[in-house]
Amino acid sequence: MSSNMLEIASVFMFFIGFYGVITSKSIIKSIVAISLMEAAVVVFFLSFGFIDGIMPPIGTDLVNVADPLPQALMITAIIIGVAVTAVNLTMMISLCRQFNTMDWDDVRKDTE
Amino acid sequence: MLSFFPTLPIITAVFLYVFPFKKAGKAIAILAQMALVAASFYLFFAVRQGDIIDPIGNYDGVLGVILRADTLAAVFVALVAFIFFVAALYRFHEDDGKLFWFFLFIWQGLLNGIFLTGDMFNRFVLIEVVTVVVSVMIMFNRDNRSQYDGLLHLMVNTVAVKFYLFGIGFVYRLTGTLDMHAARVALAQIDNSSLVLPFALVMTAVTLKCALAPLFSWFPKAAGTPGASTVVSTILSGLHIKSGIYMFIRFQALFGEIDASGFFLIIGIITGVVGFMWALSQSDIKLILAYNTISQMGLIIAGLNLSDNYAHVGSIYHVINHTLFKSALFLCAGLVAKAYGTRDTSEIRGVFKRMPIVGAAILMAILGITGTPFFNGSISRYFILSGAGVATTGAIMLINLGTILVFIKYSIMLFGQPKPGQGAVPIDNFKKASVLILGILCFAGGIFGEELIRFLFNVTASVDAAGYFEKTIFFILSGLAGFLIYKYYLKTSKLLAKVRQVEIGFRSMCTLMGIFFAVLLIATHLIV
Repeated sequence: MSSNMLEIASVFMFFIGFYGVITSKSIIKSIVAISLMEAAVVVFFLSFGFIDGIMPPIGTDLVNVADPLPQALMITAIIIGVAVTAVNLTMMISLCRQFNTMDWDDVRKDTE
Repeated sequence: MLSFFPTLPIITAVFLYVFPFKKAGKAIAILAQMALVAASFYLFFAVRQGDIIDPIGNYDGVLGVILRADTLAAVFVALVAFIFFVAALYRFHEDDGKLFWFFLFIWQGLLNGIFLTGDMFNRFVLIEVVTVVVSVMIMFNRDNRSQYDGLLHLMVNTVAVKFYLFGIGFVYRLTGTLDMHAARVALAQIDNSSLVLPFALVMTAVTLKCALAPLFSWFPKAAGTPGASTVVSTILSGLHIKSGIYMFIRFQALFGEIDASGFFLIIGIITGVVGFMWALSQSDIKLILAYNTISQMGLIIAGLNLSDNYAHVGSIYHVINHTLFKSALFLCAGLVAKAYGTRDTSEIRGVFKRMPIVGAAILMAILGITGTPFFNGSISRYFILSGAGVATTGAIMLINLGTILVFIKYSIMLFGQPKPGQGAVPIDNFKKASVLILGILCFAGGIFGEELIRFLFNVTASVDAAGYFEKTIFFILSGLAGFLIYKYYLKTSKLLAKVRQVEIGFRSMCTLMGIFFAVLLIATHLIV
């Protein structure tokens, strides 16, 4: 697959994730959808660093290597994403124990 | 040298957590805050000679991550230092536990980082982490309501940050750099049509961070949640939201080739009007202030998008002024709510009699926020109006009339007779000092407005006596109109009761975000 196709796929994936955020009634599905959006961004970053026949930037003999920055950035983004997802899930569990539901609308009604 | 600003608060936070001395620890925290205020003053004079650049990890130029301070960043860093200093004073006698102070100072370090970093990805990381910290602070007391508000804040902002990250991905692909200055130079060479999507993605996230219409619903929940501590609401409403304004200024400069100022001028004015409508419909003191903040954000954004240098200076001066009076109002609101045991404005009367100093601070802040002559709000509004056309002037006057209405409703609680059995309230000196400092600064910012603007922005802007007098007449007229509207219409209005019932949940917020993104994308296409 060429990098261009990957880029287009990542844009689609991002908006599929966003559609999931808008439509899912359950909090946990919203969190999954947010993770999908993040995965799309990761795919996007990696796709434009990818060119056919290019070498990974490893070792000392560095000719014709890929741009290492997107990968480095995405490792950071993934770590932050995992941390934020963990916080999201923790807060969700705490919320669900108090309200006995995972539905956004039910929780909202209970707080009024 | 610049790395001092993000790191010192974090070192303080860790120190207070590891060695939880009661009074001594807090004294150390206040000393650290004083050091930060002094350092930010020094920064003002240092940036006169040109931007200060501090590479992290000793990589030169655009290859590494840099911290960069210019005049604007120096102003924001000084605001952070000052407001956290006041907040630390305010909480000095409270028994908060070490975790609260830990998160408070981490928050400060992250905000300093957001204002100083010159790298877009670095800013993404800081925003994501500060979102988590703020959510934890909101739900700190773990009651039902604040847990819901905290989760909502976290998730809405996480979605917005994904838009931001996607946008800077496009910028990196187009320019090969994440440094803001280098990217700006590179983007100027690029065909505008390829900038439409990144512009729309980044600006959607920034709009949400500024709490502009229609993406403001998360903000009153976060800043007005009953369970959150007063200091948290104060910093959220006074300072944190300004990081959105700062990003707005920076990213508008980054995409300098796309001139969407007309679009954001309209958005700003709509925000201003919608904000005061909602503020009027509330009776909870924290929620009134939180919705009023949204209205003021609209005013600031409208001023920033006028094509006039004085209006820009006025807007940024209004950012500072808003930080001062909104912090004063929130801190006082916390004291009032605690003394009366309720947050309903209709049940609170006679604040002046029970707490004269707090009443005086509230009054000074109200005079500032409504733009009364000789107070700081009047100066910034004068400069914003000086760059506005006829239609914009009318819209800004309408927003100001709304603000006056909101604060006529709000100030009623200052006067009247307290209920029987409600005597004078003892307030410790640190709290008195913190609210009085802010109140007096509202007055000083009006009297020394021109000098302050020259000192802060290195811009000579003079207030024309005739123009100022004209604005004063406008103010008196709108004050009278506000009083009459309040007395004869608003008290019985059914419209506001309907407005109050509009409740926006997570999915609706995200839907609005999607709609806003689509509209911005189409608008940008038409502009380019």
